[in-house]
Amino acid sequence: MATEERKQELIKGLYDSVVNMDEDTARELSQAVLDEGIDAYEAVTQGLTVAMDRVGELYANFEYFVPQLLLCADALYAGLQVLRPHVRLGERGAARQIVIGTVEGDIHDIGKNLVKIMFEAAGWIVHDLGRDVQLQRFVEEQKRTQSEVVALSALMTTSMMAMPRVIEMIKAENPAVAIMVGGAPLSRDIARSYGADGYADNAGEAVREAVRMLDELKNK
Amino acid sequence: MKTDRMTSAERMDALLKGKPVDRVSFFSFALGFCAKNVGYPVATIYSDPEKSFRAQQWTKEQYGYDSDPFYGYASYGGWEFGGEVNLPDGEYEQAPSHGRFAVETEGDIERLALPDVKTAGMLPLARQFSRIQDEMGLSPSVVVGGPFTIAGNICAVETLCRWLIKKPELANRLLRLATDHILDVAQHWVDAFGKGRVIIQIWEPLAANQIISPQQFEKFVLPFQAELHQKILAMDIKYILCHICGEQNRNLPYWAQVPMGNPGIISIGKEVDITTAIEYFGKTCIIAGNIEPALIQTGTPQQIYELCRRAIDKGKQAPRGYALMQGCEIPVNTPPYNLYTMRRAIDDFGWYE
Repeated sequence: MATEERKQELIKGLYDSVVNMDEDTARELSQAVLDEGIDAYEAVTQGLTVAMDRVGELYANFEYFVPQLLLCADALYAGLQVLRPHVRLGERGAARQIVIGTVEGDIHDIGKNLVKIMFEAAGWIVHDLGRDVQLQRFVEEQKRTQSEVVALSALMTTSMMAMPRVIEMIKAENPAVAIMVGGAPLSRDIARSYGADGYADNAGEAVREAVRMLDELKNK
Repeated sequence: MKTDRMTSAERMDALLKGKPVDRVSFFSFALGFCAKNVGYPVATIYSDPEKSFRAQQWTKEQYGYDSDPFYGYASYGGWEFGGEVNLPDGEYEQAPSHGRFAVETEGDIERLALPDVKTAGMLPLARQFSRIQDEMGLSPSVVVGGPFTIAGNICAVETLCRWLIKKPELANRLLRLATDHILDVAQHWVDAFGKGRVIIQIWEPLAANQIISPQQFEKFVLPFQAELHQKILAMDIKYILCHICGEQNRNLPYWAQVPMGNPGIISIGKEVDITTAIEYFGKTCIIAGNIEPALIQTGTPQQIYELCRRAIDKGKQAPRGYALMQGCEIPVNTPPYNLYTMRRAIDDFGWYE
C-alpha cells in the first residue's frame, strides 16, 4: 500500500501530465496508481479533473489555445482509459448527465468536442450526438437518458437559426431541462432571445455555466 | 437622400487608385443569400457559375453594392487535394462542407501531391465563373483560403492543431503544399486572363485566435502567408483582398508584416475594431468590414443602422479608404430589410464632403 506522500506525488504527477500535455506520463502514472493500490476515484477527481479545470482556465485566459487544449485532453483520456474501469460505482454518487451536439446543417464540431472534454473531465456522463444532428434527435436523447442539461453548438449563422426551434421542442417535452448554447456567432443576448437557459463563451466556462443553470432552475 | 455622383465601377476604380470618391463604398459578402433572393436553391451559387453570377449581379443591383460577384467558399482546398465536399442542401445550411478529408493519417501526407489546377475540385467551375466575369467586362477573381486554412481543410483542423505541437514537420509539409497550390492557382488565373487584371481573394478563418495562439501564428502562418503574398504580388495581379476572419486581434502585429499590395484590401470580422484595423493597415490598405452577420440576421433594423453608422464614422478616417461590408458571409435567411439598412446607413452617413 502506498504512503500518503506517494499518493500525493502520483496525483500531482497526473495533474502535471495533463497540464503539460504529456499523454505517456499520464498513462504510466495512472497504471502506477492501480499497481500501488491507490484509489482510482481519488486519482481521477484530484489529479485529472482538477488539471482539466486548470486547462480550462488557461484556455479562457488565452494562455492555452485549441492545440494545447486538444493535447491536454489526449493526456486526460489516456489516464481515464486506465483508471475509469477501476472507479467503484456508488463512490461518485449519481453523475450528472448532458446531451450535446452540433445542430442540424452544421458540420463544425471542434467547439462541441472541446466542451464535451470539459464535461467528461468534470465527471459528467456525456451523450454526444455528434454533428449535423437532426433536431428531433436532441428531444429523443434527452428523454431517453433523462439528462438534466442539453448543450447545443453552431458555428454558422444560418444553422444557429435551428436553435430556437430545438429549444422549443425540448422544452415542450420537458420544461425542466436546462439548455445551453454556444458557438462563434452566438452571444448571451442571442442565447436569451432563443429561450436558452445558459450560454458559454468558451469551453473553459461551459461546466460552470451548466452548474449555474441547474442551481438557478432548482431555485425557481 | 443624396444622389451618387459616381457609378459603382467609377467608385471602385477611384478607390483602388487612391483618388477621391463621393461616398463610402458598399462591399458584398453574400453568396447563398443571393441564390435565395432570386429564387434559386442555395447550392446553385456553387454548382452553376452562370446562375451564381446572375443571382449575385441581380442582388448587387437591388442593394447597390459596389463590389462585383465572386465565386468561392471557406472549405476550399479539401476537394482539390482529394477529399470530398457536400453542397448545402438542408434548411439550415449555407455553404459547402467537408464530407471526407484528403488526409486522415500521417501516411496519407506522403501520397499527397499538388493538384492539377486545370481539373481539380471546384477550379473548373471557378474558371467558368471568371470567364463570365471577363465577358461582362469585370476583373476575373479567384477565392482561395490562406495556407493555414487550406492545410486545415486537407486534414481537419483538429489534426493540424495536434501536429503543430507534436509533429511540426507534418504541419509544415501541408503548409508548403497549400502555399504552392495557391501560387499555382494564381499563376493559372494570370495566364488565362492576363497580367494586371486578376483579383485574388484570400480568406483565412482557421488561423484565428479562437483556434491558434499568436505564437503559433508567428511560427506557422506568417512565413507562408508572407511568402504567398510576396509571390502573388510579383505576378502582377490587380489586387489582393485578404479576409482575416474571426478573432484575429492578437495576430494583427503579424498580419501587418504580410505584404498586401498598395493598395490591398483588408476585410475584417466583427471581432476586430475598425480603428484598430486602420492603425495596422490603413497606410496601404483599404479597410472593409465589420458588420456582424449574426446581428444582420437576428437584430432590428435600428440596431444594424446604428452599428453601420458607427462603423462608417470610424471607417471614414481610413487614409486609403473604407468599404462598409459584412464581417463574414451573411446568412441565407437574412431579413432583406436588414441588408437594405446597411445601404441606407451609407446614404445617410457615408458622404465624404
